[in-house]
Amino acid sequence: MNTFFHILRFEWKLLWRSNMVKLLLLVMLGVGVYGIYFGKFEIEKQNIRIAEVKNYEQAQFDSLLNWVNLDTSNIANKANFDKAVLPEGAGRSFHFTYCKTHEASPIAGLCLGQRDLFPVYYQLNMRDLTRQLNTGELVNPMKLLNGNFDLSYVFIFLLPLLVVSLFFNLYANEKEGGTLSLLLAQSKSIDIVFLGKGILRYLIVLGVSTLLLILGFLIQGVSIIEHANLFFQWFQSILIYSFFWSLIMAWIVALKKGTSISAILGLGIWLILTLISPTLLNLLVSANKPLPNRTEVRHTVREINDKNWEAPKSYVFNKFHAENPQFPKEDTTHFYSWYYAGFSVMDKELEPLIEKFESQVNSRNNLLEKWIWISPAALIHEHLASISKTNRKSHLNFVESTKDYHQRLRTIYLTKLFSKENFTEQDLKKLQDMSRQ
Amino acid sequence: MHRLIIKKEILTSLRNSKFLIAGIFLVALMLVAVLVGRQGQQLIQKERAKAQAEMHDKWVNQGLKHPHSAAHFGHFAFKPKPVLSFLDVGLDNYTGISVFLEAHKQNEILYSAAQDGNAMTRFGEMTAALVLQFLFPLLIIFLTFNIFSKEREEGTLKLIHAQGVSAHQFLIGKVWGTYVMVLAIFIPIICLAFFVLDHSSSGIDSNVNPKFISLTIGYALYFLVFIFIAILVSAFSKSSSFSLLTSLGLWIIACIILPKATASLADKIYPTPSQYEFRKTINEKVKNGIDGHNPRDERLTTLKQNLLDEYGVSTIEELPVNWGGIAMQAGEEYTDKVYDQEFTKVENIFKKQNRLSEWSSFINPYLAIRHLSMAFAVTDYDHHVAFANGAENYRRGFVKKLNKDMEVNHKPGIAFGDYNVGKEMWDSIEPFNYQLPNASTIISSQWRSIVSLLFWLIGLFFSASIFSKNISKI
Repeated sequence: MNTFFHILRFEWKLLWRSNMVKLLLLVMLGVGVYGIYFGKFEIEKQNIRIAEVKNYEQAQFDSLLNWVNLDTSNIANKANFDKAVLPEGAGRSFHFTYCKTHEASPIAGLCLGQRDLFPVYYQLNMRDLTRQLNTGELVNPMKLLNGNFDLSYVFIFLLPLLVVSLFFNLYANEKEGGTLSLLLAQSKSIDIVFLGKGILRYLIVLGVSTLLLILGFLIQGVSIIEHANLFFQWFQSILIYSFFWSLIMAWIVALKKGTSISAILGLGIWLILTLISPTLLNLLVSANKPLPNRTEVRHTVREINDKNWEAPKSYVFNKFHAENPQFPKEDTTHFYSWYYAGFSVMDKELEPLIEKFESQVNSRNNLLEKWIWISPAALIHEHLASISKTNRKSHLNFVESTKDYHQRLRTIYLTKLFSKENFTEQDLKKLQDMSRQ
Repeated sequence: MHRLIIKKEILTSLRNSKFLIAGIFLVALMLVAVLVGRQGQQLIQKERAKAQAEMHDKWVNQGLKHPHSAAHFGHFAFKPKPVLSFLDVGLDNYTGISVFLEAHKQNEILYSAAQDGNAMTRFGEMTAALVLQFLFPLLIIFLTFNIFSKEREEGTLKLIHAQGVSAHQFLIGKVWGTYVMVLAIFIPIICLAFFVLDHSSSGIDSNVNPKFISLTIGYALYFLVFIFIAILVSAFSKSSSFSLLTSLGLWIIACIILPKATASLADKIYPTPSQYEFRKTINEKVKNGIDGHNPRDERLTTLKQNLLDEYGVSTIEELPVNWGGIAMQAGEEYTDKVYDQEFTKVENIFKKQNRLSEWSSFINPYLAIRHLSMAFAVTDYDHHVAFANGAENYRRGFVKKLNKDMEVNHKPGIAFGDYNVGKEMWDSIEPFNYQLPNASTIISSQWRSIVSLLFWLIGLFFSASIFSKNISKI
């Protein structure tokens, strides 16, 4: 055991005196910190936008609550009073634009995942939900293609390169430097020496990564103690991932090839596992299971719309009452009950079509997930994104909760419309409370 | 003398079994990328062309309708899948594929593939572009990292100098020798790509051949730049392993780190507005006027008064033309102006962001070929904008025609439901027929990348002739 520590100690001294190693570690730290700042910048930008739309929504609510108490004997107040109380909206506009936001998890900035691809807020009125969900944030597609330079990227792509560059000359250096025969002449087995060298390098990689992870939490202002489980999950992923790469490099070292060959082998494996295998998989899957063309949804929207408008009002009402028997049936001429019921009918009729597309998309994505293990980089990326709640699944959950919210709002509006009542101050306050949840 | 050196280089590479293995691997990857990519491209283009035709069919057979109802019924525009997109998929997975065209509104281009994909999507697709841009440089490094240092380590460098070969001659000879080897892999494969490409789709893309040739020349120049850099690194390295590490380091910085960093920097320098701000500005400008002092109601009142004055009548019922049609078209033209302003604003921000990356190609030749390749494959941002404009102009065209018909033929006094038009009207609107930008447009918009590649080549030739005399001193 003593000899082992001896080896570790001297190897450390050797490494520490090498400018190359210092440079590598410095570069790693540099890009890591850049990645942390970049992630922080992106998430803060999103948070600011979320706050903006939410503030705007609440300010609009405050106006409504003001207007609902206006004195309507003064004719000048009539227009604003109507805007507040008419569930159908005044002057051909909708009563209110609600806003549903997708708040970022505290550590989203460490792994932005798919969060830049999906909208982080929806603005909703009482029209059909389908069209209102069909929107996206304004993003330069070039930026989406390039992807995000966040900490997860540094870990997934650059950490293996650090491992490769620390390990590749482990054996060859001794041989090419002529020290190998000296080592072989020692009484201790040469394997212990190389084991020590390997372990030390692994510990250095782990140390730098852990340092970056701690910096990541600190710079993004996330308490490690409060979110100890998240920290631990990240740490665990890095621990395993860097160990995996150290093993690969240990295998290359064990082949006892020269410096150049070892470096090329290491880089080759890196290429295959992080670049070639995921892109090849994507190519094969998208050529054999192409994504469905969702334009059909938008086309069906207009077909339904066309039918709703061309047919007599009873066409919509009959469909609507079959699904929603709780609403009164007496009046079959009221324009706004018909108008908004039409959107509800539309959403209902679109459901099977959307489900069909979702299941096609899911079966394609499941196929990809089944094969994801061929690229450990993709595997770990998916894992980090799911810890950080920035993957597609988390977006789909957001969509689900938006649907639910819209449905609850719709019920309130339709109840008012069918019973021909206006909103009271109480109702508006209740709606505002809902919007704050 | 050059010929001798070139011949020697080719022979050595052919005897290098590792080069052969790597070469075969790349060829195999390219084959898969080209053939599978070609199949996928054809599938998608077929589907989109079919969808476009179907939608036109629906349009023509929509039955009797008021022209304005038809404008609301609307039309669709599908983005054609460019013929060369199988070589470089570019932004295609991140941009929408179709847009709904309707009265009053310029809609978003929706349904990008990336929004339906999982985390795997972000790793990209294997395409010829990926092999040529990423992996060929590695092959070059592989071929050249010890091209000088080996001669130096084995002591042959001095012998060659003693034969009267100047260092410059020797270096240039090695460059051409390597280039021949790289082209020997590149040319057959790119020829194969040319034979399998979808020549039948020239309906949407009449300029496939010039684009393909430009793309090929672009890559050929890129390889030469990379060979030069790698050989210079080798020439000035004391040992083979130092040369290898330096070249690989440069490769990682140029191909992996810098592109991402450039894109994120561009977004910081030219911030993108949010969808919410964008929509809000449009709504406000439509409602209150572009300058904020010309609200919609007032615009309409002025328009009405002018029209009444023109015909010398006092109410709209007395007009010989349909007021609704005129008001609608005036509203359309006003919102068009707003849309033009706001959409152009965002497009210009994105273009500025992309320009930054194009200018960076003077530091990083990888970015030059990346932009060029996407541009000639017609999968870049400029093309997305061109498609958006094409679709929007089509929308404005048919909406205007329908409004005009309403203005002239829907006589005052006839109720909305009582004036309808039919198939003759729908047939008179030509199907959406979008032509991809032609080669000269692309070349003129990509001059920065082209100039930067030439800049690199000339600069490298010059520095080779200036510094090559120092090679023997190392």
